[in-house]
Amino acid sequence: MLATSSRRRPLGRTIVHVALVLTLAFAVLAGAGGYWAVVRSTDLTHSPYDPAVIAASRTVPRGRIIDREGNVLVRNKEDANGELYRVYSGETISQVVGYASGRYGRAGLELAYDAELSGLAGDPLADALRKFGTDPYDPKDLHLALSWDLQRAAVRALGARRGAVVMLDPRTGEVLALASTPTYDASAISNPATSQAAFEALQNDPGQPLLPRATLGRYVPGSVFKIVTAIAGLASGAITPETTYAEQPPAEKDGLLVEGFRIRDGHHRVTGNRRLDLVEATEVSCNIWYALTGLRTGGAELVDHAARLGFGSPIPFDLPTAASQVTDGSGSAPGGFVDDVELANAAYGQAETFVTPLQMALVASSIANGGELMRPRLVTAMTGKGGTRQIGAQTLAHVLNPADAASINRAMVAAVEGDLGRQFTTGAKVPGVTTAGKSGTAELGGRGEPHSWFIGFAPAEAPTIAIAVIVEQAGRGAEVAAPIGGDLMALHLGAGG
Amino acid sequence: MTGASRPAARLELPTILGAIHPRARWTETRLLAIAAVALVVGSISLSAGMTGRLALYAPQGLTIYLVALGLAHLAQVLAGRRSDEVLLPVVGLLGGISLLLMQRLPQDLVTMEVGGLALGLGDTQLLWLVLAIGVATTLGIVVRSDSGLRRYKYTWAAAGIALLLLTFVFGSDVAGQRLTLRLGPFSGQPSELLKVILVVFLAGYLSENRPLLIEQDTRLGPLRLPPLPYLTPMVAMWAIALGIVVVQRDLGAALLFYAVFLALVYAATGRLSLVVIGSILFFLGSAVMANLFDHVRARIDIWVDPFADPLGAGYQVVQSLHAFARGGLLGTGLGEGLPMVGGRLPIPEVHTDFPLAALGEELGLVGVIAILGLFFVLIERGLRIGAAAADDFRAILAVGLALVVGVQAFIIAGGNLKVLPLTGVTLPFISYGGSSLLVNAIVVGLLLALSDKGVEPPPPPTGVRRWRDRLRRRAA
Repeated sequence: MLATSSRRRPLGRTIVHVALVLTLAFAVLAGAGGYWAVVRSTDLTHSPYDPAVIAASRTVPRGRIIDREGNVLVRNKEDANGELYRVYSGETISQVVGYASGRYGRAGLELAYDAELSGLAGDPLADALRKFGTDPYDPKDLHLALSWDLQRAAVRALGARRGAVVMLDPRTGEVLALASTPTYDASAISNPATSQAAFEALQNDPGQPLLPRATLGRYVPGSVFKIVTAIAGLASGAITPETTYAEQPPAEKDGLLVEGFRIRDGHHRVTGNRRLDLVEATEVSCNIWYALTGLRTGGAELVDHAARLGFGSPIPFDLPTAASQVTDGSGSAPGGFVDDVELANAAYGQAETFVTPLQMALVASSIANGGELMRPRLVTAMTGKGGTRQIGAQTLAHVLNPADAASINRAMVAAVEGDLGRQFTTGAKVPGVTTAGKSGTAELGGRGEPHSWFIGFAPAEAPTIAIAVIVEQAGRGAEVAAPIGGDLMALHLGAGG
Repeated sequence: MTGASRPAARLELPTILGAIHPRARWTETRLLAIAAVALVVGSISLSAGMTGRLALYAPQGLTIYLVALGLAHLAQVLAGRRSDEVLLPVVGLLGGISLLLMQRLPQDLVTMEVGGLALGLGDTQLLWLVLAIGVATTLGIVVRSDSGLRRYKYTWAAAGIALLLLTFVFGSDVAGQRLTLRLGPFSGQPSELLKVILVVFLAGYLSENRPLLIEQDTRLGPLRLPPLPYLTPMVAMWAIALGIVVVQRDLGAALLFYAVFLALVYAATGRLSLVVIGSILFFLGSAVMANLFDHVRARIDIWVDPFADPLGAGYQVVQSLHAFARGGLLGTGLGEGLPMVGGRLPIPEVHTDFPLAALGEELGLVGVIAILGLFFVLIERGLRIGAAAADDFRAILAVGLALVVGVQAFIIAGGNLKVLPLTGVTLPFISYGGSSLLVNAIVVGLLLALSDKGVEPPPPPTGVRRWRDRLRRRAA
């Protein structure tokens, strides 16, 4: 009678299967909880969209921002309703410090260090302990490596032209000046009374004053890129400082033919039939020597060694940075070049090569520091209730051995001080100090005047300052950017730096 | 211990209760004591967070709640029921967490007038919680036979569909969804009740046709399926689920119904092919829905990347994730989280749709995992009751009841944590809301009754044998 029942499969087994599926489902939930509550905790709680950050911004005075000499660059002020807003010391720092506005959010350091300035974040231990305290907010004062004097001088030197200046201490990576022009009045954005009109006007300004050119502007580098090629050539072993090319002198007159493309030079008058080596080629900014060096080094090595300098990805920095590139990587040749023509042109900075001023300052800095590239830093310390936390120097990469770095150093000194170089990089010389540098005149393919570039450092024997200057479409590097670089380095070294 | 309670058995009480045979439930007693201690500590922590004083926060509310739990326990002891002793403590702890959360949120989120008394969020929730405990306990004690559920499955199904239609015709729109049915001063969401009716119907249908569904085959390509006519009611269920999405815009209920439906079909038949086909139909249906209806597509877009529009469409989900992030591992402490901006809570609809996010902030990942663990224990008890049930109907019913609570918890917790698209179902026993609490109380009450070893034995499976014999004869 119960024969049919006994043939029935029991429900128990399928129930166990259902239980297993549910176990898995709840494990996924727990995993997701861990992801959001632990893995993503820091970045979400530091976001300006976090209500805790927003709430704090309305009630707790934000931390101050102070330069290396102790000048307070950013203060708090109360408006008519008793709400706090930020007041900035002049327009020259706007591209660095940014703004904090209730309506338009944050930019610059105000954005990057929002959680610290608003007092919601610090070191992990304090974060954990904060939950047990009565006053949850601990706004930090930011101490910058920036020199307000040098920053103002840099903005003044650029004047009404569009451009950027980056100055840093090659030994420590401390950024002393990070100027971009045109600037803007950040106080007008943060002040609720003027915020809307000011911001809308800036957004519609064709000069793009809100763009921090020093860190986010990407420019054709021209001849300043030759230093990158020199680094790649020496570091890869493709060349030595004594390398010369038999085909170089005869090509000077009619240009060097690479796969049907003719690379030209303008120094035949002064070098004649001399075979140039690294120092001389840098001194006269020889396109053909550098094109040949690029070809001998090879695309893969060029891109690889540039990457050690920071090319190819955003530079780790206190502010957002754009990635510089040697090539757009669209080609199938090694390194992503299309062909040897692109590689040869890239070697002297005239192909699909785009760089940020900060990146070029790091190139100069790495030579100045004997091949050791330091991480660029704006914030050197943060002071809160719990005392001061120092942010120390950090090596980003070893890009070159000291001997090869010394060779490029000699070549860059020759470019500024050599008999032939003086004709190409006038004005960069710091009086009484051995100065190293390289100018660049970045052709934009017939679209108006070229970008004017200069990178350099001083004193060449023991550099304490490295610089990159770009002035957009201002003409020859030697004539515009180089004198600005020389003057600013002189100002810094004269001030006892 | 039983010896001590034996003399009480001879007490004569009014005939309406019959002779009572008290029976100790020590596991339940101990677990309830632990839950009560946890809630008292929670209340003190909440007070410290809100007022800075080490005392009970809103002590009357918690006292009433704990007394209600105690009475529920006492009632079961006195009734002498041999039912599951873990369900009540688990549900009691979840409800208590809900009470603390609702007391902690701004009280003017919900106001209700009862007899000239204006009640805020915490008090209203307390009222529903006490009612829910009453309902669960009463059902657990009073239901001694399943014949009402077993026999009238099609009547139940008809009632469910009628309820759905009623909502469609007479329901009022809240936030673009037609989910609420008003009856005089009361309003409720019938889809909550519908999920229980669905389980009752499926338990009846599947247990009756289980042998046929298992043993008869129809070949469809490589798949071996049960006889197609017996699948018709199921396909109708699928259509109803989609209909709910289209007509009521209630994605959460549709997802819940469909998932429970598939799980029960699998549990009853053990046929993976049905689950596979069901899942394919689900994804096809979803794809079609996403293309046809903006509100479905919008939900999916938000799910894929809520941060694409953190201040607009993705706001709720982004804020929920921020809340978990602020909580971190250990949480901010009760009453210390949920920073108000301009007098508004950081997460809209936190008391109905995002209680887990609020608890995730204040109790941390540890608290979230503990709460998920409580739901998991609840499911485990339900499945255990199902596995131990006397016959198929009760087994499938118990599994289904466990699933409607468990899967619903998964759907909304998943929505809060961006594991699933957000849908507006409640977190059982924790979200604010009377209909949700009462229906989930009915589920717990039925599970208690089903787990009772003293209930009436199931009827012999006569109907099935008759069908089976007829099929055999025809085959021969």
